[in-house]
Amino acid sequence: MNHKGTKKTKRDFLSVLRVFVVKNLRYALLLPALLFALAPVYWMLTISLKTEVDQFATPPPWFGFTPTLAHYYDAFVTRSFGEYLLNSAIVAVASTACALVIGTLAAYALARFQLPWSLNRRLSLWILSTRMFPAIVTAVPLFLMMRDFRLLNTRASLIIVYTAFNLPFVVWMMRGFLAELPRDLEEAALVDGDSRLGALVRVVLPLVAPGLAATAVFCLIVSWNEFLFALVLTQTDAAMTLPVGIAGRVTQFEIKWGVMSAAATVAIVPILVFALALQKYLVRGLSMGAVKG
Amino acid sequence: MGIEFHNVSKHFGGTLVVDDLSLEIRDGEFVVLLGPSGCGKTTTLRMLAGLENVSSGDIFIGGERVNDVPTQHRDLAMVFQSYALYPHMTIAENIAYPLRVRKLDKAQRTERVRRVAAMLEIESLLERKPRQLSGGERQRVALARAIVREPRAYLMDEPLSNLDARLRVQMRGELKRLQHQLGTTTIYVTHDQAEAMTLASRVAVMRKGQLQQFDTPLNIYNHPANRFVAEFVGSPSMNFIEGSHGTIGIRPEHIQVLTEPQDDAIPATVYVTELMGNETFVFLSVGANRLIARAPADFRAELESQVWLKINTDKLHFFDEKGQATDNTDYSPITRATVGHIDDAHNSYP
Repeated sequence: MNHKGTKKTKRDFLSVLRVFVVKNLRYALLLPALLFALAPVYWMLTISLKTEVDQFATPPPWFGFTPTLAHYYDAFVTRSFGEYLLNSAIVAVASTACALVIGTLAAYALARFQLPWSLNRRLSLWILSTRMFPAIVTAVPLFLMMRDFRLLNTRASLIIVYTAFNLPFVVWMMRGFLAELPRDLEEAALVDGDSRLGALVRVVLPLVAPGLAATAVFCLIVSWNEFLFALVLTQTDAAMTLPVGIAGRVTQFEIKWGVMSAAATVAIVPILVFALALQKYLVRGLSMGAVKG
Repeated sequence: MGIEFHNVSKHFGGTLVVDDLSLEIRDGEFVVLLGPSGCGKTTTLRMLAGLENVSSGDIFIGGERVNDVPTQHRDLAMVFQSYALYPHMTIAENIAYPLRVRKLDKAQRTERVRRVAAMLEIESLLERKPRQLSGGERQRVALARAIVREPRAYLMDEPLSNLDARLRVQMRGELKRLQHQLGTTTIYVTHDQAEAMTLASRVAVMRKGQLQQFDTPLNIYNHPANRFVAEFVGSPSMNFIEGSHGTIGIRPEHIQVLTEPQDDAIPATVYVTELMGNETFVFLSVGANRLIARAPADFRAELESQVWLKINTDKLHFFDEKGQATDNTDYSPITRATVGHIDDAHNSYP
């Protein structure tokens, strides 16, 4: 009797354990990925808050150090990282907006109108092909063009280049979203007396908003983080963006880890906020078309 | 507004979808385009709406040639098979959309939406979104959006086909009343011959892009222009008896089934009976021919039992070798050859 009882408790314990493990398995599976992704962020954040002595201490003080905001002061007050931040914001937002407007109109044309000589397919592939070579190939030609147009060291040059590089992505993404949308809705709008453009603005765009949001986030991240063209096309504070500004603290004589980390930490924030704000759309946008209705 | 099609054709690539269609629809008429799927009826409607280009020929609305007038300037209202309600707008916004793009002021808009909603009894739905509505409610909203303004004509593309049978019959009646009340020219596309018969002032039967017959429902039913129309209109379908030079047609209601032999009656065998509640369909074998007859609901007969048929010979339809109806009831080659087949079984058939 007693023997039986112990066996039963033991089995109960095992089943409870099993339920617990299964329930929390997803967290266990997520944990390594999370650690892997967040370790550099943690490192950057702590470096930005540590004094230079703590930065190089061995073993590193993981949590127990006296935080300081000196590097933030240095970066944004003493040095011109504030301007870089502004440049980055203007360039990223403007180029994303341009790419979305131009790209969505092109995608609409490709998704809705039957062009002759199977141009729909050919143009789409042609647009995509501009992403098929390494970006660095265009660096020198673009530099020479911008010099001739007297656009070096201007935000305009970066806006133009980023718009051009984001366009293929916008066209392909939006073409997919627009093709999914039933034609009936636009046709109903036309019969109801609206113009093509009116139907696009009042009926089509609100319905592909999740797709637009997902595309916008991607464009914004790419433009915000872009380094190569920003380095080639801007050399002065007038147009220099954050990535170039941060990299510029690596000099022949010293590497300003604290300032770089402080600037990089600040650089993460806008994208993080934007992505969180659009999260609802993002999930819907990226899974749009996966399930009908 | 009157609508005219003058020799209108439409190609999609190499396929001819509408073939030299000419139709004259009078102001205020309710015309139904009837035909099986792929007969070009929806394409015809879409060409009228300006959603498809015309390959050749001309379309006139109220005397004005509209071939090159874009959809939004044709001043028509259309009800789509899918209803095509704007999913991101409320019902009120959906109905007000045609008024909004015409820049009517807000007070007028609200007033007219309210009036139409009252007419179709959907006032309680105005603040909802389309996805919260049932099929029947969506259908009403689609109608409301069409009648909220006074267009030159209403175009309806199988508006009832997504409703269940009971609701379809109910909406069919309401649609008829509504059109009567508004008096606006209506072009209605369907493959359902019952809808065509009940709604239309005139029916245009189409097949493979060609107009077969354009007449009142009664004439379509009683005097079908050809075998296709005769077969397509009427349920159950007309019986056909093939001859060597043509075909004789007889509607199921013109065959009387008797359980006792009688003069003039042809013997037949019961293949199967289907009790429909108010009547019985009797499937019969007469020699090599299969016929369907309508019998009263209380008609009872065993399978494979012997019955006798009395055929109303005044109601026979005659079709020549090309399937065209012919008035010539003395068309002796047909009568002799085909009815002769039945005749062999019983001498008393005329």
